[in-house]
Amino acid sequence: MRKLIAVTVIVAVAAAAVTALGTARTAESGPASSVAQNAKRKLPALPSNIKQRKRFLIGVKCDAPPFGYINVRGENAGFDVEIARWFSRFAFGRENRVSFVCTPTPAREPSLTTGRVDMVIATFTYTRDRDTRIDFSRAYYQATGRLLVKNDSPISSLADLRGRTVVTTSGSIYDRWVRRCFPDTKLIVTDNFTNAAIAFNQGRADTLMWDDTVLVGIAAADRNTKLTNDTFLAGPYGIGIRQGNTALVRWVNSRLELMRKRDRFMTLLRNNVPARFVAGFSRNILRPRATFGYPPASAPSPETVCP
Amino acid sequence: MILAVTYDLWSYVSENWEPLLRGLGRTLLVSGIAIVGAFVIGAVLGAARAHRVPVVSQLAAVYVEVVRNTPILVQIFFLYFGLADPIGPWPGIKLDIFTVAWLSVMIWGGAFNTENFRAGFEAVPHRFREAGLALGFSRTATFFNITLPIGGRIALPSSINTYIAVLKNTALLYVISYEELTTVALQVNALTLETAETFTVLAVVYLTLVWSLSIAIRQLESRLALPEER
Amino acid sequence: MSLPDWVEPVARYMFQEGLRGTLRIAVISVVASTVIGVALGTLLTTRFWPTRTLIRFYVEVWRGLPIIVTLFMIFFLGPVIGNQLEFDPFTAATIGLTLWGSAQVAEATRGAVQSIPREQHEAASALGFGWVGRHVYVILPQALRRLIPPLVSLLVGIILNSTLAQVIGANELLESAERSVERLAAPPPSGIFEIHAIEIYGAVMVVFFLICFPLTRLAAYLERKLVA
Repeated sequence: MRKLIAVTVIVAVAAAAVTALGTARTAESGPASSVAQNAKRKLPALPSNIKQRKRFLIGVKCDAPPFGYINVRGENAGFDVEIARWFSRFAFGRENRVSFVCTPTPAREPSLTTGRVDMVIATFTYTRDRDTRIDFSRAYYQATGRLLVKNDSPISSLADLRGRTVVTTSGSIYDRWVRRCFPDTKLIVTDNFTNAAIAFNQGRADTLMWDDTVLVGIAAADRNTKLTNDTFLAGPYGIGIRQGNTALVRWVNSRLELMRKRDRFMTLLRNNVPARFVAGFSRNILRPRATFGYPPASAPSPETVCP
Repeated sequence: MILAVTYDLWSYVSENWEPLLRGLGRTLLVSGIAIVGAFVIGAVLGAARAHRVPVVSQLAAVYVEVVRNTPILVQIFFLYFGLADPIGPWPGIKLDIFTVAWLSVMIWGGAFNTENFRAGFEAVPHRFREAGLALGFSRTATFFNITLPIGGRIALPSSINTYIAVLKNTALLYVISYEELTTVALQVNALTLETAETFTVLAVVYLTLVWSLSIAIRQLESRLALPEER
Repeated sequence: MSLPDWVEPVARYMFQEGLRGTLRIAVISVVASTVIGVALGTLLTTRFWPTRTLIRFYVEVWRGLPIIVTLFMIFFLGPVIGNQLEFDPFTAATIGLTLWGSAQVAEATRGAVQSIPREQHEAASALGFGWVGRHVYVILPQALRRLIPPLVSLLVGIILNSTLAQVIGANELLESAERSVERLAAPPPSGIFEIHAIEIYGAVMVVFFLICFPLTRLAAYLERKLVA
């Protein structure tokens, strides 16, 4: 009997202590309601080094509209850039607590591994190979590969690529995929997308292979071109983070989830994509009622799968 | 140190030698064509400049100054994309990537070489040319028998430097993704991520090429030196 | 004739950001190349062969490698070797151009110093100068006159080669041109869906020409005046 009383007392004291500590912390943090505080406390905290610095260092593309580019006023702009600004708002209450570092494709991984940036939001397609060297947040955008052809082109699907010429950017997943899966197809690579578009316009290649986000806009604006019906290499973009920085990964994922629930990605889409395509691309982004992730670990990497 | 742990040059070379060798072959091919072309351009236009041939001399001067004072990267871009763009009456000339490769470095080398040869020809002492004319050689014969051989030798050191620079500039064809050595090496690096090994190979190959070319040509230069300078 | 709308923001971005980047890289590289190169070149004339050999190796390596390879090495290989060696594109480009430039200056300085007649060395020694004093107070002031034309040529070379920094992502003139071309080529709302690559890269060529041609002429003029 005495033992039972002792145990009850100890448990009661412990519970009281925990509650006291909890309410004490709540009392310290201000006049916000304790319910909201409890909810916020469930969100992962910002890693301390970023908190101390009071700024984010984020790598973005500076030459890849509509995701990351320099706008007319000389500022960073684009879908990825706006996500970065939202992170700044979440962490510091203001959208300008971000320093952008231009990270072209070959510099994305090195910038993370050397710690030059906290994270990279730069059309970074998730691949299992990359995952072995860096960490990815959850997927935030789903791009698909498409083929752009001239209206009178004899190419109507991937099967027609034999003996023809494809142009794409060097080092992209399309580059690797065509080399691996289409040995009978001639491949031209350029070091940036506009040069690939110029090569296509000049007839150096029969088709331009790239992300739907950009090609759909071109097909619509250029009456002489159209897209074939093929979709391939569904490549989810993720936010690249240095390997092992699980605190930041948790923080980023939680804020992406917040943005998804509040349908923020739709606003970002509207800001960066011509109005008539918003409906079509709404399938590529995270919505309150639609979510997507990376292909399961057991599935082979898409650029190694030949049609 | 990461370097010490994973640096393995031997396996890198044995796994990747095929594309690297092909890249090296292309580097040498493009350099070879460009060097020969630069020699011809330099000799012809240098002679025109030295002899103040009307029209040709002025046009050559414009060519030389434009090529020498603009970045070669932009010259490569214009040869590949610029020429092919139809503007107004210009139908657009589409050059394939191999042609642009050797043509761009040849044009660049030719401009510098024109100046080299011009200086060489102008440095041929007057008395040699006068002697030739006195002996009954025509203007042209004087040029081919006297000015060219002697001026060419005077121009040899600076020409050599230009030819070596042409070889090095083939590395810039990376920007049109012509698969010469540097482009291939970077592709291999992107796939294997063995950065240290890639750049070791790249540095060793280029230095070997440049140094041996340098030594070989300087041997040639001492053989060909004019008697007065020996 | 009024210019199309897109020209003004592009020109502003290229001049404010791009050209400034180019000049920053170029000026620092030239100054550093000169200081390091003159010192190394003078040391190349010493009779102490270990120093000579070491410096000769430095000179032949950085002159022998294509500059683009040097830049890639510094930018990508540096961090692999040591965490301290992680450079941003600007610094990497400046270091790479300085290595090349100092090798060029060293070679030119060696030639200039060796062209000073022996009597100058002997007179200086007779006056009690040591090796360093001799070179600093007597030889170099004369040699430097002969160095000025090659230094001006070096400035041109570095300015033109600063465009190579574009491949490692530094924002100099060519890179700012490329970003502008990409933006304009995108459909609205990002851009205006027009490809103006030829005009913009043509402008880059004109700007470089306007900067470099006078300098090249100056080098030729100085060559005639100072060396002849």
